[in-house]
Amino acid sequence: MTVTEAPRDVLDNDADVAADTEPAPPTGLAALVGSGDPRTVGKLFVGTSLLFLLVSGVSGLLMSFELIDLDKTDNILANDVYPQVATLHSITGLFLVVLPLLLGLATAVVPLQVGASTVAFPRASAAAYWTYLVSGGLIMAAFAINGGPFGGDDSGVALFIAAMIVLLAALCTATISVVTTVLTMRAPGMTLRRTPLFSWSMVVGGTIWLLTLPILAGNLVLAYLDFTYGEQFLGGDVGLYGRIDWAFWQPTLYAFAIPALGIIADIVPVFAQRRLKQHGIAMGMIGAFAALSFGAYAQTGVALVPDAELRPWFDGSPWLFTPWVASGFAIVLPLLALLGLFGGTVSAGRMKLGSPVIFAQCAALVLLAGVAAGVLTVIKDLDLAGSMWMTAQSYTVLIGTIIAALGGLAFWAPKLYGRLLPEALGRLTATVLLVGTFVLVVPYAIAGFLDEPRPLAHETATDLSDKSTVEVLNLIAAIGGVIVLLGIVLAGLALLRTAFSKVSAADGPGDDPWAGHTLEWTTSSPPPVGNFAGLLEVTSEAPLYDARHAAASATTEASA
Amino acid sequence: MATTAAPPSTASGDLEVLSGLPAAPPSRPRVLLVGTALAATAVAMGILGMVALYLELRSQWLTSESQWLPEDTVLPLTPGNVAFLSLLMSAVTVAWAVYALRNDDRSHAYFALWWTMIFGVAAIVDTAYLWQQMNMGIGDSPQAVLIYGITGAHTAMIGAGLLFMLVMGFRALGGQLTGRAAEGVNAAALFWYVTIAVYAVIWYAIYITK
Repeated sequence: MTVTEAPRDVLDNDADVAADTEPAPPTGLAALVGSGDPRTVGKLFVGTSLLFLLVSGVSGLLMSFELIDLDKTDNILANDVYPQVATLHSITGLFLVVLPLLLGLATAVVPLQVGASTVAFPRASAAAYWTYLVSGGLIMAAFAINGGPFGGDDSGVALFIAAMIVLLAALCTATISVVTTVLTMRAPGMTLRRTPLFSWSMVVGGTIWLLTLPILAGNLVLAYLDFTYGEQFLGGDVGLYGRIDWAFWQPTLYAFAIPALGIIADIVPVFAQRRLKQHGIAMGMIGAFAALSFGAYAQTGVALVPDAELRPWFDGSPWLFTPWVASGFAIVLPLLALLGLFGGTVSAGRMKLGSPVIFAQCAALVLLAGVAAGVLTVIKDLDLAGSMWMTAQSYTVLIGTIIAALGGLAFWAPKLYGRLLPEALGRLTATVLLVGTFVLVVPYAIAGFLDEPRPLAHETATDLSDKSTVEVLNLIAAIGGVIVLLGIVLAGLALLRTAFSKVSAADGPGDDPWAGHTLEWTTSSPPPVGNFAGLLEVTSEAPLYDARHAAASATTEASA
Repeated sequence: MATTAAPPSTASGDLEVLSGLPAAPPSRPRVLLVGTALAATAVAMGILGMVALYLELRSQWLTSESQWLPEDTVLPLTPGNVAFLSLLMSAVTVAWAVYALRNDDRSHAYFALWWTMIFGVAAIVDTAYLWQQMNMGIGDSPQAVLIYGITGAHTAMIGAGLLFMLVMGFRALGGQLTGRAAEGVNAAALFWYVTIAVYAVIWYAIYITK
């Protein structure tokens, strides 16, 4: 594989000499396939994840339409197809959309933020993308041939499990690359304390992912052996989802939202035109949120003996139940503290509006709702576990994370694409996604209180006492799903317009269109190969903000 | 709250302020070591997660049955112990290799790396011998799936560690005994220590506890 980024010493040489001695860089498909450039790899991750988002959105919509009439179990999907579509929706949404989207953004942005010329292990990062693409395709193929969880085709089920294991390995590889970049390749003077918050959130979030995703992979290795060679004590194709679904529940669910906090924390101060209050405390709060989100102990149990109950591991063990309840309550605190810091920063500054900060505000609101919902989930007397309430909570947290990632794309679009996202379209997308999310999740949350079971158990919902009310709520939620899907399409259009715009570099947004605070705004848009023309010395967590204010102060003193 | 267009770029001015400072040499310390630490942690978590499932199911099984392993299954202790001893000795030899490289003692470094790989291969052979002795096919029982899955995954980890050490050993053989290459051997050693630690857990959870 050809790696197209140049080492730093090449950049320091005379460009003409380099042009004479270096072979012409590959173009077209060869440039994509052979590229180890983090910006290219990051954009590939982002683009592919948005394509998978369409798959997840459409399958989720089909699932929600199915739930409108609870008396019939085959409204638009056959009985045996429905659970496959439901699992396709959730598995694609998390493992092929949310994680790769965040990793793609991080792969492109983190080296710029920390002042590195490239990402650590660029070949591994590129290999991770192509492995993600292939394994994602195989997962789609497995579902297409009646495989996946609840699948009827044994080879399709086995293919799904194997592809999932490979996918998780790819995601872990990309994570290692990003986390190592932050830990070892920061610019001179950039201590961990001065690391930009998105990069910091990738360190703590990536660490939690590396502690969690391999456990899921280990589960799947055993599930593969059991399904292929064994007696299927792990439940075969039906029980397979039980080996995976704990990733969609709290506290593990929150682990995938950690980088969203970093994105919001980097956007808000820039648009408030003010340094973030208490940067160190913000880092601590993101770290606390991450620590509380480790939840591999909250897995679904396995019934090895006939009378064993299929309940989560933590249920019945005070050693596990207590941290589950405690983390459910406690995790609200770091989020509230962060939002307080954002509010303090905004009130102390002069807020300007732009699509990134609108995305960030929408994401913060949605994430707060999702995490607050988790507090009720852990109150056992409310009996919300296993109900539609938890589905609503998963949607809230994951869609909130996607909105934050889109905000990040809008914010860093000049560095990724050399152009700004269409402002009006960006604002419209954020608004549509916000409205759609609440129209989707509020009815499902209420339906959860009315004992509607989660989608995979919807055949048991025929004897609900408030069935007609639940059906109306499900209809409203389906409309919300349509609105969210509309928002996804708008986001895709906005990105397509940005990525393939004919605007020349001279008419582009400039190096620093938002008056940013961190290192990525010192280089050109898009950045050159190697990212920076020279090494930078960092003296604070907001070096550009400080430099700008020092220059302004000097000008004022000189004129006085 | 005012809506404003994007302000004019200030980056070039800021760059002047920043680039006025002396440029430090490129600093890339411990990239491979940190990456390896993260990768080793991830692999260890994967295998330990399997061990956790094993222990949970074993505990559940023993609430209604008198013994965990099937009647005709043999889980001899000797191959597991010998494998553990081999790995413990390899921990010493890999530390020796790192020490020798740091002191530019190439011959001892190769000798120590060679012995580490011998011990690693011995551990794989011991595990394969144990599989032969168990009298259990992979699909015979849930216990078989779990034991083969966990020990097989760890054997793959040993193989990855050996490959890593082989590559780094060749790089050291190429003459780069200091700097980045020495870091590579350190990284391979770190991965190897984690491999041994994971085996210690497997040894106790599966071979000793039975």
